[in-house]
Amino acid sequence: MKIGTIALNTFREAKRDRVLYLLFFFAAVCIVFSRALAILTVGDRVKIIRDVGLASISLFGVLMAILMGTGLVYKEIDKKTIFTLLAKPIHRAQFILGKYLGLVLTLFIMTVLMAVIFLGVLFFHTFRVEWPMLTAILFIFLELLLITAVAILFSTFSTPILSSIFSLSFYLIGHLSWSLETPIRKMKPGAGRTLAYVLYTFLPDLENFNFKTEVVHNLPIPPGIYLYSTAYGLFYAAFILGLAIWVFRKRDFI
Amino acid sequence: MTRRISPRRVSGGFTLALFLLATCAGFMGLKLATDKVLRMKVPGSSIIYVPSGKFLKYATFGYSALAADMVYLWAIQYYSTYEIPDRFERLDHIFSIIAELDPRYTDPYEIGSLIAGQEARDVPLAFKILGRGAEKNPDMWLFDFEAGHIAQMQLKDFDLARKYYGKAMAVPGAPDLIKRLFASTTFKAQDYQTAWETWLEVLNTATEDRVKEIASNHLYQVKAAMDLENLKGAVGRFREKYGRLPSALSQLVMTGILPSLPKDLDEKDYLYDPGTGEGKAPTVWWKR
Repeated sequence: MKIGTIALNTFREAKRDRVLYLLFFFAAVCIVFSRALAILTVGDRVKIIRDVGLASISLFGVLMAILMGTGLVYKEIDKKTIFTLLAKPIHRAQFILGKYLGLVLTLFIMTVLMAVIFLGVLFFHTFRVEWPMLTAILFIFLELLLITAVAILFSTFSTPILSSIFSLSFYLIGHLSWSLETPIRKMKPGAGRTLAYVLYTFLPDLENFNFKTEVVHNLPIPPGIYLYSTAYGLFYAAFILGLAIWVFRKRDFI
Repeated sequence: MTRRISPRRVSGGFTLALFLLATCAGFMGLKLATDKVLRMKVPGSSIIYVPSGKFLKYATFGYSALAADMVYLWAIQYYSTYEIPDRFERLDHIFSIIAELDPRYTDPYEIGSLIAGQEARDVPLAFKILGRGAEKNPDMWLFDFEAGHIAQMQLKDFDLARKYYGKAMAVPGAPDLIKRLFASTTFKAQDYQTAWETWLEVLNTATEDRVKEIASNHLYQVKAAMDLENLKGAVGRFREKYGRLPSALSQLVMTGILPSLPKDLDEKDYLYDPGTGEGKAPTVWWKR
């Protein structure tokens, strides 16, 4: 109940944030502009629209999660409103979870809106609703859940600028960590390889949420991956939120 | 004054630690599980959209050499992953990116051409990559030398090889070996006059006895080849005129076909087989 109240308030607060609308505007422009880009290509125009559209939803979604998430807790501390809140019978974990869910709700609505524009642009080009795109969009949203958790974690102990840099780094690492697999395979067995392997499994692998290539090229997706990727995203987000709660519990506001 | 920590807070901390451990183990296990699910990919799809090096250079904010190193390191891993069946399709694109990012980086030209020539069996691409290196580094003999080596050893196209060696040896600072390779391939391309002149130059400019000996032996070989070719022509003319092969080479002089018989570089007479009409040098050139 308390978590829900904080989440709703966070959502109301996010609704008033101009950054959200600015990013949404640019996302919408990019998605619509993909149709103009498609005219420039030779060959499959729909592919360009799909690629640019999905990339826009992903990129602007991540920017929304990072730019809004990194300021969520920090602002409360900076404006001293945290004292009023924590003076009430609210557990710090509830506060973090409420903030997180509020932002997740905001991002969900934004993702739905961007998806509607994207599917609309595609519809005007192909005259059919491309439902398979929703798979990619759903996993983009799952990625946003994780990025939001990371942004909130950094927001509990750092300034918004630094938190944004850290979150962006997390995002980049997450999309590059898969490349560790090849050097690890070529390393000689031993402690170094074991350590590298542990690091490889610990580092975020955001490619688990990347189904853009598959849906654009109509490639078959093995059913098992849906379950594993979803569970992976939820477990990782839970771990990051757990860390955020742990850091926030340790903080002394006096 | 000591700060008291309530038992509730301690148990909360303990629960949180357990939760962190469980979720960490959970996502690490799930990471391994997702890796086991084979996802179908468009082969090489990860590099299709890599922009050209010219544009990428602007995005590196002055760290283009570092970016070139990274792309090169990645390329080595990528091209040694045999599971990607069409990995060679973008070979030129990838190595052109490295060349744009760091034109003076010589290893990628060499390795790129090696991958193209040996693994992808695309010799024209190997020449293209080396040609790019030579174009961007006109003060380096290495790329034309490598191209000559590929033409000589892989294509057995000695005319092409000597052209590359000729370009390489014209670069200031090129090692003497290239001139010898040029002379050798020129001989194999049957341009005896140029081969003779080049080996003579090698002999006259060499400072080491070993090189002088090599040049002398090759001069013997070139002279023998020229003389034997002349003798073969003369034997042919004799056969046309008399309807038979000469019984000895001296008959070529006696009948006025040749003014005199040539001798090898050691002033020895060439050997002649009257049964076949074939002549040969009295000494094996490399055993002199």
